[in-house]
Amino acid sequence: MNTGAFLLLSVPGFPLLMALVLALGGIRKTTLLLAPWMALPALLMTFSVTPGTSLEMSWLLLGSSLGIDETGRVFLFFTSLLWLLAGIYAAGYLASQAARLRFFTWYLFAMAGNLGLILAQDLAVFYTFFALMSFASYGLVVFEGTAEALRAGRIYIILVVIGEVLLFAGFVLAAQAAAGNIELDTVQQVIVGSAKQDWIIGLIFLGFGIKAGVIGLHFWLPLAHPVAPTPASAVLSGAMIAAGLLGWLRVLPLGEASFAGWGEAMTLVGLGSLYYAVLVGVVQQNAKTVLAYSSISKMGIMTMGIGLGMLAPQVWPLTLIAILIFALHHALVKGGLFLGAGMAAKAAGSKMQRRLIIGGLLILSLSLAGAPLTSGMLAKLLFKFPMMQITTPLLDWAQILLTLSALATTLLMARFLYLVWPQREVTEKNVAAPLTMWWSWLFLLAVVVMSPLFIPLVTENLHLSLEMLLGALWPAVVGGIGAALVWLVVRRRRLPALLDVPPGDVLFIVEKVIYPSLAAFLAWVFVTFPKAISSLFSACCGWRGNELFSAVVESYGSRLARWNTAIILLLATGLLVVVLLIH
Amino acid sequence: MSWPVAFPLMILASSLVPGLIIFFLPEERVRTRVGLNLGGALLKVILVCIVLVGVFNGQHYETRIPFLPGLDLVLRIGALSIMFVTLSAGLWLVTTIYAIGYLEDSPHRSRFFGFFSFCVTATVGVALAGNLITFILFYEFLTLATYPLILHRGTDAAHQAGRTYLIYTLAGGALLLVGTVWLYSVAGTLEFSHRGFVAGLPDTQHAVLIIIFVLLIAGLGVKAALIPLHSWLPQAMVAPAPVSALLHAVAVVKAGAFGIVRVVYDVYGIEFADSLGVTLPLAILAAMTIIYGSVRALLQTDLKRRLAFSTVSQVSYITLGIAVAGPIATIGGLVHLVHQGVMKITLFFCAGNLAETLGIHEITEMDGVGRRMPWTMAAFTIGAFGMIGAPPLAGFISKWYLGLGALNAGQNWVIYILIGSSLLNAAYFLPVLHRAWFKEAVGEWPDERHFGRKETAWALLLPPLFTALMTLALGLLASAPFSPLEWARFVITLEYAR
Repeated sequence: MNTGAFLLLSVPGFPLLMALVLALGGIRKTTLLLAPWMALPALLMTFSVTPGTSLEMSWLLLGSSLGIDETGRVFLFFTSLLWLLAGIYAAGYLASQAARLRFFTWYLFAMAGNLGLILAQDLAVFYTFFALMSFASYGLVVFEGTAEALRAGRIYIILVVIGEVLLFAGFVLAAQAAAGNIELDTVQQVIVGSAKQDWIIGLIFLGFGIKAGVIGLHFWLPLAHPVAPTPASAVLSGAMIAAGLLGWLRVLPLGEASFAGWGEAMTLVGLGSLYYAVLVGVVQQNAKTVLAYSSISKMGIMTMGIGLGMLAPQVWPLTLIAILIFALHHALVKGGLFLGAGMAAKAAGSKMQRRLIIGGLLILSLSLAGAPLTSGMLAKLLFKFPMMQITTPLLDWAQILLTLSALATTLLMARFLYLVWPQREVTEKNVAAPLTMWWSWLFLLAVVVMSPLFIPLVTENLHLSLEMLLGALWPAVVGGIGAALVWLVVRRRRLPALLDVPPGDVLFIVEKVIYPSLAAFLAWVFVTFPKAISSLFSACCGWRGNELFSAVVESYGSRLARWNTAIILLLATGLLVVVLLIH
Repeated sequence: MSWPVAFPLMILASSLVPGLIIFFLPEERVRTRVGLNLGGALLKVILVCIVLVGVFNGQHYETRIPFLPGLDLVLRIGALSIMFVTLSAGLWLVTTIYAIGYLEDSPHRSRFFGFFSFCVTATVGVALAGNLITFILFYEFLTLATYPLILHRGTDAAHQAGRTYLIYTLAGGALLLVGTVWLYSVAGTLEFSHRGFVAGLPDTQHAVLIIIFVLLIAGLGVKAALIPLHSWLPQAMVAPAPVSALLHAVAVVKAGAFGIVRVVYDVYGIEFADSLGVTLPLAILAAMTIIYGSVRALLQTDLKRRLAFSTVSQVSYITLGIAVAGPIATIGGLVHLVHQGVMKITLFFCAGNLAETLGIHEITEMDGVGRRMPWTMAAFTIGAFGMIGAPPLAGFISKWYLGLGALNAGQNWVIYILIGSSLLNAAYFLPVLHRAWFKEAVGEWPDERHFGRKETAWALLLPPLFTALMTLALGLLASAPFSPLEWARFVITLEYAR
């Protein structure tokens, strides 16, 4: 086996092996020391490997291969860097050895999935690693074991399973269009013009959209991301959310042909996410929840980019660059913000430390808002190149809304800073944060600050002008002033009840309106109605089945009180309706 | 007698002879019995491996014994039969080890292992049968050999379950026999052949052939647990865990499903069956069974009952794959014959371990059991995810081929069934896993036994670990030579070759 192939295998291989060793309870001290470093081979590989390296494994799954291209390289870079730093952070964040052992088992399984899917070259391998990542993350979401975490975990896992089956259907349809071939390159090409083209695109968009937090499918995210331990939140909201984006990039026929309908729909959905998440996020009470909503908002921009790709294949190369840089920027900044939120809660002991943390969070927030000379500004500018070349009314609006979104993000970040601001009286008790937390966070901060210099493609195309700097500056200034004004007005006052939107927003409707009425309906169908029928039967012919019926009915009745049953029945009904509509 | 003639007989004898001897062994001759059991099982696996390579290289194995005028008893080893034989032989070895550990120090072991060996002999006979009459003989033999195993515990519930089992299977057997005799009078032969032997009959006979098809499928559908003939299976879960493994994975249910494969492919021929219009109703029945079994599984609170209803659902994947009538879907169905066996036996072994070690029967008692029995629950987890169809496990490969095959055959509705089944499987397995891994144990286990530092006895632990690894390997290495998937493809090239 050559070196390139070995390197490819080591990317998911190291975390996977270490996860197994931890799960089997191997030599704990050493393994726990090594566990945080398992993303290092992947990170090193992004610098050393030549794109195009691949490894054929015809015996694996449905005949598979691993490989890396430029897109993969960018994803691998930020994904492995974030997993590495969050892992080192976690080694300090979790005090007890038992907690670390449990945490790293799930963490490494999820990491193996997230890193592996970047190298996947076919549907089966991608699906496998995606599933590994999604299911293993359940362990991270419910890690704290609180009622809140369990609730978030339940909703998370239901959405994961739904996502899995949507993808299964999409993948099988795509494979059939490709006559059984499942290589990603081939699949992207054959989707165009295939008989089930719209089904495939729709299923893929929704299936990965759950992970990417597309509006409407996003409600699990503000529950699950914040409730995990801080380093897990960082990788969930920074790295794993981008796996959904990568799924789109890998399977959707981007740059192959123009799909006006889909493109416009996705652009609209993206813009919707962008603003809706800010509106809901700004009234949240928990700093990490605000960050989760910010992730949904930022994924909206990337969704819009995907829409642009579907709409305008001729500018896809430019759009792809914009998406990649934006994904990189968002992953690192959002990871830094989550880790920083953890610092503010745990590490702000001395005055010096508080200043450092506040300074760092301010820089990260400004970067996310796209202030001048940050990666955020560059990422947003890059989106304007492809958009300027196409003029449709929708895209003209999109461009304006994209510019204005900086204002919205500034407000959201102001809210975040307000919530996360380290209070002296709170932090007096737990002053000392382990050095690993400090070093990994400061390192990440440094990478974020320096990153504009390392985006090589950008400096060639982009000549920084005063205009641009001013264009990036005013939203931050105006937003900042606006936020300050709002703060002055509303401080010491409770938010009006109307604005008290619980995390998960629309989930509230599902839980309080749809679910009870559904349960009532099902109870009638499965309990009241059969009871009436069976008593009717026993009344007129003394039928013995009455007892049987009531036994069955009771077991239905008690089960109905449960979420999973209700969801399944809901889906079954939905499927039935779909089937009836089609035929 | 030459080797090609002797091999089928030797494969049968490797379990029949030990079984006969074991009946006459005194209860306390533990070592001899264990030696006979394991020796026979190992010998069978070795023989099967030799034959497997032979079949792959085009070798023909056939034994013919005169039976009735014009009807011979035929044992023939072809690509399809060896697939089922390999599964049975392999899992029988594993189950034997498990049974030895499970029944340690319990009474009537000679009786148990005697019938146990007969059961596998009958299953192998079902697999090797070269015509319908031989098939029926072994099929009935299987019914009778399994009955004492279900009764083994001798409790009221066991008697009740045994009675139900016997009524169902004997009635099914009778239907099968009627269908076969009728078929013989119509077709004049019962010899299985690629692409079937009834296709050449005149059009006027087609109505009769449809009725015969219904009779045969109804007879086989009892063992294959198709609704509405499935009720015996969940009741039979009162039997000891190794018997459940045998019923659900190795022998009984599989014999029914395999019989359906035989009837559709080697009696009618898939294209002819399709032209008769009998495959779509069969596919719909299988689909209904899949959903119904899963919904019932969701409503069970007893672990083994939940698993039993899950079998009702999962075995019908095989029938569905066959009835969808296309080469790729058939690959899915055939490969699931093996995959379902390996996955379900893992789950039953684990359920048996929980019952034997901790006295756990109800799902609500499983809180925190992952800490107490991590290896068992790891195996259970793999089996459960396999059932859901999560990649890279065996169940995913089955589901992928079923889905792809259904689309290729223009039966898009099957996708909804697969999705629905996956969702239901997730709904009844994931909460169990959550209990086991993420909840804290409350108080004492119902009936705990200790095994030193181990979580349970080796003989109980190694079999599920092995089959769990197989579940992983069957998926991960699905495209490696001699994997069930590759073998199913090989079978299909024979069935669909013109």
